[in-house]
Amino acid sequence: MNNQIIKNLQKHKEEVMYAWIEEMKNEKGEKFFQYMPEHLVEKTSREFTALMLSNIEEGEDVSDEQSMEFATKIVRFGWSISFINTAIDRFSKVVFKHLEREGVVNGENYSRFFELHLNWIEPLRRSIIQSYSLEWERTFNLQKIALQELSASLIPVFEKISVMPLVGTIDTERAKLIMENLLEGVVEQRAEVVLLDITGVPVVDTMVAHHLIQAADAVRLVGSKCLLVGIRPEIAQTIVTLGIDLTDFLTTSTLQKGMEKALRLTNREIKEVE
Amino acid sequence: MNMRIPILKLYDTLIVSIQWELDDRTALQFQEDLMEKLHETEASGVLIDLTAIDFIDSFIAKVIGDVIQMSSLMGAKVVITGIQPAVAITLIELGIRLEGVLTALDLENGLDKLHKELED
Repeated sequence: MNNQIIKNLQKHKEEVMYAWIEEMKNEKGEKFFQYMPEHLVEKTSREFTALMLSNIEEGEDVSDEQSMEFATKIVRFGWSISFINTAIDRFSKVVFKHLEREGVVNGENYSRFFELHLNWIEPLRRSIIQSYSLEWERTFNLQKIALQELSASLIPVFEKISVMPLVGTIDTERAKLIMENLLEGVVEQRAEVVLLDITGVPVVDTMVAHHLIQAADAVRLVGSKCLLVGIRPEIAQTIVTLGIDLTDFLTTSTLQKGMEKALRLTNREIKEVE
Repeated sequence: MNMRIPILKLYDTLIVSIQWELDDRTALQFQEDLMEKLHETEASGVLIDLTAIDFIDSFIAKVIGDVIQMSSLMGAKVVITGIQPAVAITLIELGIRLEGVLTALDLENGLDKLHKELED
């Protein structure tokens, strides 16, 4: 059946590859083939062609395993997905032209090539898209975790005093995370006073304030005291304008003042040494 | 099975350490026992340690709130120690803020706070 095609392709590997490189060089907007050194282009292209052809050698249909293996290798080239798509398109075009020229494919058995295309090129394309999206998903999740870890850490500063600097917008999900980290941290570090620094929080609305009040209440319950520090002038204005009641809170404008207060609460003070 | 929570007296303080999840009956029994003991010993402070509790429901929370109020009616200060983060979150979510109650991280801290409070 397709043996003829496969044998022909095997024989004219090099030819197909160079034709493909030429095609890719004419592709607009892709810098890889235009600016990369010649030998590097050739090496990568050879790998690509070999990978493309390796799947056809082994049988008529490409197994899932093979195509996944192929996809992971392609992903390692570091090309963009659109570029790979174009590369595959060009490749199948080159192969078709080549086969036509060789007379393996003609008007009569055109459907044969179509079948080959369906069973060979398309599964590869699908698997590439799949592995790309898997890769992206993984990266996205890793970044999300990294962001979460960075976004609410409780730092022990002095004995019995810890600080949690908050940077960025606080939404409900993050507020929950802040609360959990805060409480776990307080218990673990045996902090008697925690300073919640909101210098880096751009907007304090009723929702954020509500979350902060809840967090402070929870901190009180586990047996520690929560100070809200870093209240900027505009934040103070919004809080009062919105009618948010923070009177149960100890608040200061800067972390420095908050720290002094925290030290006083734990019966200590900073003294200058002569 | 009726498990009673032991209430220990240390000088003028009653110390209660709750070691297992309370069911409703035990909680009410505890409330009664504590009041009895307060009356009997005329203690001026009560310390309730919840370190071992990592789950609390609304009824138990209410009983604890009640016990605190009752104790202050009888002239004793109450300190709650060792509330676990998960318990604190549950209490807040239930809207039980235990306002005006002294809390401390552990027994040691709690006793310090209690003594300071009693001296004032």
